[in-house]
Amino acid sequence: MDAAIRTEGLSKNYRSHRALRELNLEVPRGVVFGYLGPNGAGKTTTIRILAGLISPTSGTATVLGNDVVDRCEDVQRHLGYLPGEFVGYPDLTGAQYLRYLAHLRGGVDWSEVERLAKRFELDLGKRFKTLSHGNKQKLGIVQAFMHRPELLILDEPTSGLDPIMQREFLALLRETRADGRTVFLSSHILSDVEAVADTVAILRSGELVITQSVDALREQALRRLELTFSGPPPVDQLKRAAGVQEINWDGSGTVQVEVAGSTAELLRIAAPHQIINVISHDADLEAIFLDYYTARS
Amino acid sequence: MFRNVFWKTLYDQRRGLAGWSAAILILVGLESALWPSMREMTDLQEIYSKLPEELGKLFDLQSMTTGPGFLNAELFTLLLPALFLVYGIGHGAKSVAGEEEDGTLDLLLVMPITGARIVVQKALALFTCLFTLGLALFVATTSMSLVFDVGISAGQAASGSLAMTLLGAEYGALALAVGAIFGRRSTAIGVASAAATAAYVLYAAGLMVDAVEPWRPLSPFDQALTGGPLGAGLPAAYLWLVGGAAALVLIAMPALDGRDIAAHN
Repeated sequence: MDAAIRTEGLSKNYRSHRALRELNLEVPRGVVFGYLGPNGAGKTTTIRILAGLISPTSGTATVLGNDVVDRCEDVQRHLGYLPGEFVGYPDLTGAQYLRYLAHLRGGVDWSEVERLAKRFELDLGKRFKTLSHGNKQKLGIVQAFMHRPELLILDEPTSGLDPIMQREFLALLRETRADGRTVFLSSHILSDVEAVADTVAILRSGELVITQSVDALREQALRRLELTFSGPPPVDQLKRAAGVQEINWDGSGTVQVEVAGSTAELLRIAAPHQIINVISHDADLEAIFLDYYTARS
Repeated sequence: MFRNVFWKTLYDQRRGLAGWSAAILILVGLESALWPSMREMTDLQEIYSKLPEELGKLFDLQSMTTGPGFLNAELFTLLLPALFLVYGIGHGAKSVAGEEEDGTLDLLLVMPITGARIVVQKALALFTCLFTLGLALFVATTSMSLVFDVGISAGQAASGSLAMTLLGAEYGALALAVGAIFGRRSTAIGVASAAATAAYVLYAAGLMVDAVEPWRPLSPFDQALTGGPLGAGLPAAYLWLVGGAAALVLIAMPALDGRDIAAHN
């Protein structure tokens, strides 16, 4: 079966500005794919090309096997889309707006709309202009999911949601994936994506820096361990253990060690030296992302 | 009301249309109410003959001694065309460019319908609204004529109202097309207003300057106003207005599918 999204050499120029450069991306079906990058990296440009709102300068993009330029309507029929800045009609109530979109799209089961609205505690009787930012965003989420699309392309979907609704939203993403459907999720906030994505791509200045599974990234990530010994720590031996990047020792019984990848050898070396406590901090993905965002080109 | 873009646009316009219709009714009513006292003035013809000849041509003052002539000069050759243009251009500019600038066009275009269909439905809604205003003008003119004995027949009122509708439709369609092509409301309003002003200047100059006279029929104002517009019948020149509006919609149809849609910030 075709990938959910595949781009080849996808580029977009705005006058002299190169917003997207030679993007080669493949998103398999049935996953949650995180699309990360700092503001202005080209995330929204990619998304607007995939949704058929702008044309690429060069290269191709296919969504669910259809070219986004030549077979735009076929793509859109199976697409749920949430723009980065979701805007409704100020004077229309949520229900009126959703009915409008449902009619334009066709084939929407209204009970699904009601179910989603209830789940996100969204009052569909209120006019758009009276809704808070978070409630506007919920309306955007409902319109993206209401026709149970094969593929969801969501640009910064959690913006404005409170923590409870964020959790509800992440649960919805997991259910969508369990359904065999695909979610393409852009964000500049790592924790949003890390909690739910199978794979992430990191974009910087219009170029793809890396595409990797979240698990593999965690493997790479530096893990911080605090090892406490009853006697003097064997600092020199620990330094030689595989993966150890840095050791901090203040002369006490405790050393702080930063390890990339597996900690097995480090612990094997430490074990015979009367080790009395090990504290392991979570792999610091944030550091990896910041590294990709800023340092590498 | 939310079945498609056409009905949704009419729903959006419901209050505006009611307001504009009421304004037209009041305007026509006030003007018609003046007619009985104007008719009583015996030396009216004399006053008009003292005015500059050009002014007489522009407002067809020779005919001002009749009810239809009076309303043509007072309303149907400048004020009502201006009102229909303001409404048509405003609505046309809002149709596509307004939605794009507001950020609501994105989700319409992501629906599995073509941009051309959105443009056509928006244009049909624009024409329907102008037709409704034309109908309000017709009702106002005929009813006020009965009340104040202005002597305007239903046929005369119909041709005048149709002329206003068609003039509004042509420049409304121009604003819609420019908005669809450039995506900016201000550009749409600017281009359509400038085009309407230029056409009016051509029409007015054609009436007063012999050298310009042969070019006058090119002006949509000439097509709409010559021979009336109250009591013009159904001149063939109206077909130019219909054709012009239709051509502009045809030009606008491929615009949305052929260009990038601006992201809302």
